[in-house]
This record gives sequence, structure tokens and C-alpha cells, in this order.
Amino acid sequence: MQAQYVLIGNSAATLAAIDSIRRYDQQGRIILINREQGPAYSRVALPYYVGGEMSLEDLLIRRWYDYQRQGVDLVDGATAMGIDAGTSEVVLSDGRTVRYEKLLIGTGSACIAPPIRGLDTVTPHYLWTLDDAKSMKAAAEKAHTAIIIGGGFIGMLAAEALRKLHVRLTIIEMTPQLLPQLLPQLLDAEAGTLFTQAVRDEGVTLRLGSRVEAVAPKNGRVEATLSNGATVAADMLVVAAGVKPNLSCVANGPCAVSTGILVDEHLSTDCTGIYAAGDVAEVKDFLSAGRAIHAIWPTAVDQGRVAGACMAGAKLVYPGSLGMNVVKLFKLTLAELGRFREEPADDVKLLSGGRDLYRKIVVDREGVIVGAVYVGDENGVAEMGVIHGMIRRRARWRDLARYHLPRITYATLLHAAAHHG
Amino acid sequence: MKQIIVHQEKCTACRDCELACSFSHEGVFNPALSRIHVNDFYEEEFYLPMTCVHCADAPCATVCPTVAISKEPDGQILVHGERCIGCKMCLLACPFGVMGFHSQSGVAHNCDLCRHIPNSPQCVAFCVPKALEYAEVETAATAQQKIYAATIQKSLLAQAGQSAH
Repeated sequence: MQAQYVLIGNSAATLAAIDSIRRYDQQGRIILINREQGPAYSRVALPYYVGGEMSLEDLLIRRWYDYQRQGVDLVDGATAMGIDAGTSEVVLSDGRTVRYEKLLIGTGSACIAPPIRGLDTVTPHYLWTLDDAKSMKAAAEKAHTAIIIGGGFIGMLAAEALRKLHVRLTIIEMTPQLLPQLLPQLLDAEAGTLFTQAVRDEGVTLRLGSRVEAVAPKNGRVEATLSNGATVAADMLVVAAGVKPNLSCVANGPCAVSTGILVDEHLSTDCTGIYAAGDVAEVKDFLSAGRAIHAIWPTAVDQGRVAGACMAGAKLVYPGSLGMNVVKLFKLTLAELGRFREEPADDVKLLSGGRDLYRKIVVDREGVIVGAVYVGDENGVAEMGVIHGMIRRRARWRDLARYHLPRITYATLLHAAAHHG
Repeated sequence: MKQIIVHQEKCTACRDCELACSFSHEGVFNPALSRIHVNDFYEEEFYLPMTCVHCADAPCATVCPTVAISKEPDGQILVHGERCIGCKMCLLACPFGVMGFHSQSGVAHNCDLCRHIPNSPQCVAFCVPKALEYAEVETAATAQQKIYAATIQKSLLAQAGQSAH
């Protein structure tokens, strides 16, 4: 097989690349190598399928005819095993080779299997692929109880889904707080305790600051042994211990790899004609001088778009990736953007807004807005969209300074521009 | 494409638009549920209503991970509530902050130009000072040009009149 454009992966980055390629090149042949079966589904929506709010069909974000309409040959059930840059070929798991002129690696993330003794003697449920979700849902429909190892974003989404199926949960998190990437920055010790208690009041058992040393099957259930010797047993085990870039197809070269595949501002690797985008790509960070991987859907879409355009000859420049997240935890919605954990030289503006509202903007020493946090009602998150745009435009705090109540809106910026130049 | 055009200088912040919108969509008078919001700066008497501008290359539609936001043939950016999982990435993506979230239904919402009442967005219908207009954007811009051209003409004529004396 051969094509002008070969894409590895069937999710956010490669799908955005297809749209982008076709904007500039309606003729060039595109082959997409998909290690799963069928048209693309929404990874972000998987927890809602597990919890019963969405059907399998609801998960689809492409249909067969979308690939046909866009002139994409979908090669299903084939894993890319390696890349031969000399012959410009991708080698597939079934032995076939695919010759490319331009290659995009969009293999995304792989779940981390934590170093727990006996993990291979039980059935750990991850929540990353469609098969993971199907298997988790099937187990959850029969389970009364579950252990979730990992209290980060995915762990909490899995928890929410399992609660909808009336499964009683024990969440084991090795740091002292849930959502360790976010909450410790927002909540002081007292607020953290209140929040943890609120979770416990919902009937969830929390083991914070606890490590699982071993797991084993026991009487048809799973038993986990913690580092303090305590044991916890449940009908099913969920593992949400983080993700890392899926580098299996480049394990033997040809491109430079660090944590992820190293790419420049055109999403190109150090091998001519080979690009990478999404969770697997390590690219310039928007705010700092270094590189970063922000493994979120919007970033993968942005990068796929630029990579596709560059592959088709339009030399777009990717301005750098920006971290962001929004999650609803019980009654509170939390959103963060950019450098929301202030550095020593930064200035922090805490904006008042009422009892159930926490808003923080981080400003660097030059007065440029670099990060923001919002904790409050879900309706108020729209202001973070405005701040997102401001961060991208490197807007200054003084553009906002007088106008931060009650909500930050785009009108604020227009007004500032009209009155103060 | 016909859109809601704002004539900022006419807005008095009466917020009838917010009441009309929320009543038309939700059956209640509740500005918090409106898809148009008046931004007020009372000290300067500057009021600016803002709502979805139906971007040609909409960041909300691009980022939506369940393909719940589409650009319709008539140009509207439409949120398909039944596909929305309430992740709020569209709220983070919109640089104008005009994508909203409806807590009760758990879905995102934007101005849908009152699709349920063809050709008559309610905020426009109820705006007393006529600060909101439902018109073709392209011709609206030309109309604006004509207004300023007339102002310049008047100014030039006045100067010519003065210099003749």
C-alpha cells in the first residue's frame, strides 16, 4: 500500500489533520492506520457510555461515509510496529507495509501500569479505549463494589460513571489529595479537609496518601494490600494511574524521542516528512521556554490541524501548547488555564466574586496574564474562554484591572481599548 | 448571513433582551438563562450586549469532542444538546465568552437566533432603543460606512462653508 499522506491513529490529532490536509490538497491519497475497529469515537465521552448516559452509537464522531467523502482509506485492526525512514515505510502488525510521502504519528497515550505486585493475576480495568470502556461497563453492571487506584482526572471520571451504576467505591490515591494536579494548588489544608469530607459524605471510601503494594484474586474478588499492611477487597479493580505517550511504533527509531516524540513548530520530527501531533508529541510550550506535553483533546486538535497543513505544504506555525482543564467534582466546577501555579516572580490576583466563587489570575513579572483558575458554578466557566484568548494574545493585567467584577467578558477588553487606547 | 448586529451607542442596559431570550427559550424571566448578556460599565455609561457571532471557523465546533456543535447551512453555529456531554471545552474555547452552560439540562448553549420562531430573534424584537438589529452582516457593514461617510461629508461641507467666509 502507499499514499501521499499516511496517518497513524484514529482520534483527535489525525482527524483534525485530515480536515486540514483536505483544505489544501483535495487529491492526495490518505491512508489512516487504526489499531482498533471502525470509525472514530470520542474518548472524552467514554465515561458517559460506562455510566449509561450514552449508547455505543452516540460515541461515534465519524461514520464510514465521512472517511469515504474525505478520500481516506481506513485500514482497521492494524497496529503500526515500526517505521523505516530509509524506505519511507510503516510496518504493520500483519506484516504489510505502507509507503508514505508524509507521515503523521498520532498514536496518543498509553495507560501506565503501576508497579504493583500481582497486577497480572487479576483483571485491571483501564479507561482509555472503547474496548476498555465496554469491559469496564460489563464488569460494573455485575459488581457491587470497586477499588479505583488513582484519584486523578480519569479516576474521578470512572468514579462518577460507576456511581451511576450504583457501585460502591474505594478510591486509593497515593498523594494526600484527590486531583493532585489541581486541588492542592486551590485548597488550603482546611478547605481540603472539607472537600474530602464532602466526598466521603457521598458514600465514597477514600484512602488518601496510600499506596497499593500488591493485588491478588481472593474468593472471586480482588484484594489490594496497602503499604501500611491494610487490605481492601472489592468485586472489580479500576486502574487510573496516569498515561504516557504511546511510543511503541518509534521504539526503534527513526525520530528523536524524549518523553514524547520531539517536534518543531511545524509539528515535524527530526526526520524529513515525518510529523507527530497530539498526546504523543513533545512540542514547544506556549508559556515557558521549554517543551511540554499537554495531553488534552483541544491541544491534539490544534496540533493535528497545524501538522496536516504543514504536511500539505502550507507552512503554518504552531504557537505552542497551553494546558487547560475543566472538571465538575460533585457540586463544584473547577477550571484551570496555563501557568495556574504561580512561580516566585509572578503576581497573583485573587478576584472576589461571592461565597462559592474562587477566581485567580496569575500575571508574570512583565504584567502579562499567564494563567487562571476558576472554582464555582458551572455557568461561570465562560469567562475562562475569554481569559484563554487573552493568554494566547499575551494580554496584560492592566487591560482588565478595573473590570473584573462580576464576570470577565470580552466586552471588558473592547471597553478598555475604547477608553484607554 | 443574517445575524444579530449590535449598535452599542444605543444600548441603555434595560436588559429586556435578556428577559425576552430567557422567556422565549426557557419559559421564565431569568437573565442568568439568557444567551445574550449586557455588559455594563455604569460609570462611563457604556453598555455592550454580546452574544454568539456564529464564527466561520468556530473554535467551539472545532474543539467539541463529541461533534455536538455544527455550522449549519444557514451559517448558524448550532449546539446539538442530545450529543453534548457537558464537558465545557467549548466554553474554554470561545474567546468571546458567549458560549453558556445550562446547569439543569447539563448542556452548553449559545444564541440560536431563535430557531423556534423563524426570522425573529426575540432580543431584537423587544429591544426598545433599537440597539439590536437582525440583518445581513455584510450589508450592515456597508450601511455603517454610509453613516460615517455622511458624517465626514457634513464636516467637510461645514469647513468649506467656514473657509468661504
